[in-house]
Amino acid sequence: MSGTRVPFLQPFLETRKLRRTGFCPAFLGGGLLGALVPAVNMAVRAESFTSQSGSPFRILMDANWQLMAQLNIFLVVCGACILYHTEYADNGIQKARSLPMRPLCLFLGKLTILAVSCLLPLCIEALSLLLCRAHWFSDSAGAGRQLLAGLAFELVLLLPTAAAMLFLSSMCQNMWISLGAGVILVFFSSMLPQGSAAVALMPFASPYRMLHQFSGREALWMCALCLGEVLLFCAAERIYHNIRRCFS
Amino acid sequence: MSEMNIIETQNLTKTYGDFTAVSHLNLHIKKGSVYGFLGPNGAGKSTTMKMLLGLAKPTSGSFHINRKSYPKDRIAILRDMGSFIEAPAFYGNLTGEENLEILRRILQLPKSAVADALELTGLTEHRKRQAKKYSLGMKQRLGLAGALLGHPPILILDEPTNGLDPIGIHEIRTLVRSLPEKYDCTVLVSSHLLPEVELMADDFGILNHGRLLFEGTMDALKRTAENAGLPTYNLEETFLSLIDMDNRNRGERI
Repeated sequence: MSGTRVPFLQPFLETRKLRRTGFCPAFLGGGLLGALVPAVNMAVRAESFTSQSGSPFRILMDANWQLMAQLNIFLVVCGACILYHTEYADNGIQKARSLPMRPLCLFLGKLTILAVSCLLPLCIEALSLLLCRAHWFSDSAGAGRQLLAGLAFELVLLLPTAAAMLFLSSMCQNMWISLGAGVILVFFSSMLPQGSAAVALMPFASPYRMLHQFSGREALWMCALCLGEVLLFCAAERIYHNIRRCFS
Repeated sequence: MSEMNIIETQNLTKTYGDFTAVSHLNLHIKKGSVYGFLGPNGAGKSTTMKMLLGLAKPTSGSFHINRKSYPKDRIAILRDMGSFIEAPAFYGNLTGEENLEILRRILQLPKSAVADALELTGLTEHRKRQAKKYSLGMKQRLGLAGALLGHPPILILDEPTNGLDPIGIHEIRTLVRSLPEKYDCTVLVSSHLLPEVELMADDFGILNHGRLLFEGTMDALKRTAENAGLPTYNLEETFLSLIDMDNRNRGERI
């Protein structure tokens, strides 16, 4: 019997585990809901925004991103809970842990899936912003580039939240505990002072930030620090796995 | 490590706070044998099996499996083992076939391995049904199919006949009994059904309160029991008397 550590195969295997869990419909539905925010906002009070001066993309983001980001964070919370619920519901995780692969592979596989899945709502929301801009604003110069840069930035800013939430979900056998904790963190983070640089870096709070709030150099630092946070959560998961084995 | 033994533990111990689940356990499991691991509830059977699978970290002691030592060769050890611990572990949202397919890909086995395992455990007919909709016996069979996938050289089975009807129990017993000859497989099996273990095992290990009371063949067990003045009509009688005697001695010790 041959075996492998399957680090690169893991995300592919994780997608197979997601059949009939509602994971994909949840991200699709969440993305559509997020996309409705700017559309409805513009449809209801277009004049308040079209009368403003400045980049249309910035106006749209300033007007809608807080709610859209909150929906995205909530989607990440639900996604992480679903990903680990499939493991704990019928004890599949015990089998996974007795297979010849590194313990962190499972976490990294799920993190990859969650990160890639976040692209779906972000793309739908970006498309909605693009359509709103085309429909209500006349200036569309450089829209594509701005949108792509914004999309990539928001994805990177969502990663610490995804890693933190997966870490939390991996610790809770009962999905309702991790979901409850996640929801509390979502609302807690929305109450934190927005101006603070420390808060801007915190998981659950960082996705509220927008690219235009930072200079090019600051944005790069922000991305690097967010990726560093992801590595920290991976290390925390590794340590947690070792501790858990002592008590199981 | 003896050439004959595929699994050997040296003073394997697991404690949780001030509770000792397994105490200085020295197991010697011969290659190509079926080893019956017996003991009352809470004796430390599952904890021992979990330690062998790397699911629980030993507090002290060590073990060697197939000439590989833990924890240095953990991944290589797991590559040699199929397991079924405590209760069937699977993904309820997936079908029986999809569950085995995931394991097959991780173990990098040929595609035919899934059909083979399904056939071996009598699940072929139900392979397209979601695992959470399986009956308890079918879940048990799915767990067994996962353990048997790819015919690993070592099988660790914890209560594999739980929840099975008498026909299922007979089938699993026949299957386990046939594995060493068919696939050159070594089986470590625990069960509360002592007559079943008596029929399927070559060697026995009896555990009580984390300590190994006896290890050896049925004949050796009978001789030990006779010398101690215990009944030897069948494994059940001998087992119960041995445990009772140990509990009384333990009470005196405490």
